[in-house]
Amino acid sequence: MMHRLSACALAVSLVAGCATQPAAPPGAQVDAARLAQSVVAGRSTRAELLAAFGPTRSIRFDSGYEAWVYQSPAGGGAFTEFVVLIDPQGVVSKTRTGPTSTP
Amino acid sequence: MARSIARSVLGLAFAAVMTVPWLPAQAAGQSTVNVKSTRDPVDKSYRKMIRGMERFERERALAPNATLRFQLLPRLPSVDMRGITLRIAGDTVSIPVKVETNNTFVLPRNEPALQQDAALLASRKTSSMTWRARIESPGVPAGSRRLGDLRLECRVGKEAGLVSNSSPMFGWISDALSTPEGVCTSPEGNYLFFAERPIFSVRLRAGERVATLPFSMLYAGGEQTPDMLPFCDCQVLLDRTYYVPLWDSSWPDDTLVEFDYMLDPAQAP
Repeated sequence: MMHRLSACALAVSLVAGCATQPAAPPGAQVDAARLAQSVVAGRSTRAELLAAFGPTRSIRFDSGYEAWVYQSPAGGGAFTEFVVLIDPQGVVSKTRTGPTSTP
Repeated sequence: MARSIARSVLGLAFAAVMTVPWLPAQAAGQSTVNVKSTRDPVDKSYRKMIRGMERFERERALAPNATLRFQLLPRLPSVDMRGITLRIAGDTVSIPVKVETNNTFVLPRNEPALQQDAALLASRKTSSMTWRARIESPGVPAGSRRLGDLRLECRVGKEAGLVSNSSPMFGWISDALSTPEGVCTSPEGNYLFFAERPIFSVRLRAGERVATLPFSMLYAGGEQTPDMLPFCDCQVLLDRTYYVPLWDSSWPDDTLVEFDYMLDPAQAP
């Protein structure tokens, strides 16, 4: 089975032949309502995000700031980005929603 | 795709550099050639930079009222960007170039320097800086750029050979995969821009139409690993780095590129 899956994956990568869903954009998938309720600028912390949603795609800068990105299913195979800026003290300083990817 | 290919090729090149044993030339049965010196990669070809200026003049329609300057930017955290000096150096010519306190400069045209295939020499070490064109139309609001200016910056920057990569191998790969046309007019183009300050969000605005750029267009795609970062000239400017859809003609040249910075003006150092 694994060999067949691998062969299919290889074929997809070469000729896009197997019928599969397009890959979701990088980042943990979290419902938009949960993010909106749980992530509050000036209050939420890195530890709370990790506990609530698990690890996601992130980037850490030399300044100590970090940007984390989540993907919220938006229907029809589309996803809406939710980006969080975490300050060097580990507190969320900004958030933004969007854009929504096209499937 | 081109960005993916470039990353893949870079990975292979990086792996090759790290794993292939470097045999002495004699052991490999090869003859040797003594090279006294090589041109510092930070030093730029004067001819190429003049070609970039000529391209600016040819394609002014993208930014009809704009001015062109060149800009020096840090590439290593240790580089001191204060008091940088520049000169055009040929076989017999040596012409100082005035650098403003914001590290921008205008390059004078000099025929003897062109004939002598002069270099533009900076008073800093190899790989410590990178270069960009800075094309600015009047009347653009603070905290934003004009898309047509950026389109022209890309073409001038590529024509002038401004992107400074630390590895000669990476530089060769980069050049092989990226002509000005390929980089600046293709959806797979990979020309990096740097904002004035660390960015959190970038929006395009053309009249009533507004769109936020996805995370994948910020921070050099958000995919740079610590191992890869030294090969990118965004090494110390990662939080200021963004792509814009230069190729997308549905966004007119007068489109504004607006920045939300990580820190509000009152907080910024």
